[in-house]
Amino acid sequence: MTSRAISRFLDLLALSALEHMRFTTRRRAEGVFMGYHQSRSLGGAGEFVDFREYTGGEDLRRLDWKVFARTGKAFMRLHEEETNLACTLAIDASGSMRFGAASRRDARGSKLEYVQYLTTAMSQVIARSQDHVGLAVLNGSLGHWLPPGATASHVERLQEIVATLDPQPSLQMAHALRELFERSRRRGVLLLASDFLMDDLDDVFGVLRLFRHRGWDVVVLHIVHPNEERLPEGVAYRFDGLENEGRVNCSPADIRTLYEQRFGAHLAMVRQLALAGGCDYRRVSTSVPYLQTLRGFLVDRAG
Amino acid sequence: MTFLHPWAIVLGVAAAAVPVLVHWLTSPRPVRMPLSTIRFVREAVHERRSWRRLRDIILLCLRTLAILLIALAVARPQWGQPRQVSDLQQGDAVRVVLLDVSQSMAARAGPVEQIERARTVAAEYLRYRPGLVADLITAAVRPQAVFDVPSTNFDALRDELARARVRPERLEVNRALDQAARLLTPAGPNDHRRRELVLVSDFQRSSWGGANFGPLPADVRIQFESVAPRQPLANLAILRVEGRATDLSGSTQLAVDVGNYSPNDRKVTVELSAGDLRWRLSGTAPAQRVTTLTEEIGSRQIGWQPGEARLSGVDDALPADNVFPFVLHGRPAPKYALLTRQLGGRRPTSSLFLECVLAPTGGKGRSKGAANAEPAVARLDPRALDRAVVSASHLILLDHPGKLSPETIQLLADLLRRGRPIVYVASEPIDATNLKRLCESAGSGLQLPVEFLPPPVGQSRRDLVLASVRRGSAPFKVFGDNLTSLTGRLRFAGGISSRRLDTGLDSDILATYNDGTAALVLASSDAGQLAVLNADLAASDLPKTAAFVPMMSELIGQMLERGHRGGALACGDPLVAQLPVEAGSAAGLHVRGPALNPHERVDGFGQLVDEALGARWRWTSPGPPGVYRVERDGQTVLAAALTIPAEESDPDPLRSKELTDRLAIGRTAAYRGAADEGQSRDDFWKWFAMACVVCVVGEISMLLAFRT
Repeated sequence: MTSRAISRFLDLLALSALEHMRFTTRRRAEGVFMGYHQSRSLGGAGEFVDFREYTGGEDLRRLDWKVFARTGKAFMRLHEEETNLACTLAIDASGSMRFGAASRRDARGSKLEYVQYLTTAMSQVIARSQDHVGLAVLNGSLGHWLPPGATASHVERLQEIVATLDPQPSLQMAHALRELFERSRRRGVLLLASDFLMDDLDDVFGVLRLFRHRGWDVVVLHIVHPNEERLPEGVAYRFDGLENEGRVNCSPADIRTLYEQRFGAHLAMVRQLALAGGCDYRRVSTSVPYLQTLRGFLVDRAG
Repeated sequence: MTFLHPWAIVLGVAAAAVPVLVHWLTSPRPVRMPLSTIRFVREAVHERRSWRRLRDIILLCLRTLAILLIALAVARPQWGQPRQVSDLQQGDAVRVVLLDVSQSMAARAGPVEQIERARTVAAEYLRYRPGLVADLITAAVRPQAVFDVPSTNFDALRDELARARVRPERLEVNRALDQAARLLTPAGPNDHRRRELVLVSDFQRSSWGGANFGPLPADVRIQFESVAPRQPLANLAILRVEGRATDLSGSTQLAVDVGNYSPNDRKVTVELSAGDLRWRLSGTAPAQRVTTLTEEIGSRQIGWQPGEARLSGVDDALPADNVFPFVLHGRPAPKYALLTRQLGGRRPTSSLFLECVLAPTGGKGRSKGAANAEPAVARLDPRALDRAVVSASHLILLDHPGKLSPETIQLLADLLRRGRPIVYVASEPIDATNLKRLCESAGSGLQLPVEFLPPPVGQSRRDLVLASVRRGSAPFKVFGDNLTSLTGRLRFAGGISSRRLDTGLDSDILATYNDGTAALVLASSDAGQLAVLNADLAASDLPKTAAFVPMMSELIGQMLERGHRGGALACGDPLVAQLPVEAGSAAGLHVRGPALNPHERVDGFGQLVDEALGARWRWTSPGPPGVYRVERDGQTVLAAALTIPAEESDPDPLRSKELTDRLAIGRTAAYRGAADEGQSRDDFWKWFAMACVVCVVGEISMLLAFRT
């Protein structure tokens, strides 16, 4: 497969080191085409894996007549199929993802930039495995949505959208996720990259539980900037909210410990909610190179 | 509360804004930074804000308080009523300190006498300060200034202050204020120095109630410094001791007035001694009242008899007035000269009625057992008057004397002025002429309250009744509550008319008829007294009633006692005593003091001088208390007891408002009592400065404890 590197976030040279790695899922996939992933259906075209006693109403074409003739008992032949994977990359494009940017117009160093690099590489890895990859940009509403696809143009389009993300201040994400849920017709993998700094956190994980209930494999990537974990040194700061939350004047030294306690509690709560909802949770620090993060992720997924 | 430098308050209020300004100026400029996790910052800030805000408020309050306190300290607050006279006031000033040294200043509040406290207070105002001249007046009856004009010699003033002692005298407050006014009078039109008068006293109501600040210059600042304690002092005092004849026979009643100036009734016992005689009088003295204790002591020993009364078992504020010297004078049986043209005998004439009153035993007086005793009453015809008999008699009565000769008038006038009491029963028109001539002969010393005139022709003076009488005075006092029932039945007739004179005293008219004429007049004339009974006793029903004898006895007895009472004289008051006729000339007389030292100098107790009416004893400044005797060859011819003035025993002080708002109204005056010393202080600036330091230390501690 050939792909033109049209996105500035796509570094094919760096990704060549991950060429032998493949995005896998721990659950059976429900694909359309043949692929590398175990299919949810156990049809007759695949590799034989086992027998099973016949029960009424089953397709008689899969009845093993030879065994029936020899033993007089009806057994069904079970074959495992392999299919492709449909992975939807959901990106939180709220204002808080701009944290760490060099300036208002220059997003370098921000969580969003990190996510852009990560999802671009992820899309490339997924597409390389003949799997379908889709995109959902979440910023208050479902900003962009590309259904999963595997064509080169589709992937290019996806990477272009990722490269041109423009965060919008928003403290709501559940509505956009619900919209994504309603639009998605086929089971797959939902990979949500967000900092989870929002007001409707419970609703968000409520929607994620809907995905899980439908059989989706939900992967939560919790993006954390190191400067979020610890307030800067200094006598007085005026902090401006990135989601139009106003401003706060304070001396970081006065609240440092309390802030760290509260932020730590937030991280723990997101993790708790994710795991409780059956999601795969992974905290991603932007201080770690995205390729290292991707490698670790792929390795973990591979089991 | 007042401030010595009020401008500092304004400055301090303005400076109170400095901490806020400093807080704003020194607050660090915040670094702007976008932050995604601002929600956690906000929550943390909210949680921390209460502490931070509390710290900031405390720091701001401490800083502001420190500045306000230092401003208050600079402003020099003064609590209580501000002093009008203070060394803190700058500029040239003339200051007079008037120190009360009357007897009441010896009263003790605890172990310290008021004079000691007054000395300390006065010393505060007699300290050197540039531009200040001062003088000190020690005031009792006669105020004494240290310098004739205020001086800068404060050492001498303080020396005099240290030597000041209480005198057994009353305070002549207006005389002292007059002297202060002279010292404070500006030297000229260009003398614009501040004038200050400091009055250091216990401000007894009895002394200061009549104070007149009018003579003082209008711009004088008056500072009342009271040394009287907040709670009135409890004091008991003997105010008077008197031996009084109860009848004409010479029987004597000893009367002692005890003043109880305390809030509770007290049982008192007075021990009296005179020569070898001792008496003990007891009774209950009601609170804030004067109680009279009496004792019948029989006939007095003839002659002058010094004595002493003493309150026993009393521990009060003023011990000096618990002892009271007195003198008893036992006189021989009185002799009366009855000048009348009426004939003697048993015929009921007015002169007979008088004779019966004077000698109820038939003219033999008290010594009725002595057969050869002289008759007590000598009936004399004015037309052939025996001058020797008249001069030797103790009291002269005139009844129907007819027209008196000029010689007789002159004799009577002379005797009257020298202390011989005269009772004139005016019943005939000629008596008006006699009285007029007698008054003229007696001179200005005799001021009758009325002028007696012959009754108008045709006017009938009959059925006259007493319209008004002086119940509290002799001779009516003796009747008490029965007076109205007794006098209401009396009908008078005869007598002469009278006309009120402006020059006389109303109190000398003891009774008045319903027609407005005087019924009984008692007037003084130098040492003697003249009583005029305006009625014809024979035509009136007075002699036929039971009131006649006691009334006349009381009148005559009082007149006789006046010349023989010896009397109590107040220390400090100028003494002028007319010596008895039998004392003779002043040569050979001398005065002995209470120390009974035979070598006492006469000069120390005044002067004995011969005057027109005989010898007189003059003493400008008598004292100390005790019995003083004028003697000739060891024989006492006159004795007088000098006592502490009664008004000095009442310690009731005037209140501050009465002094500043009533007596010194219109003046710039301030009052400070001994009990107010804790309130009227101007050293609070030290405490404010200390509190300021505490605030600064507290602020530093807060910054260290809650540093960031």
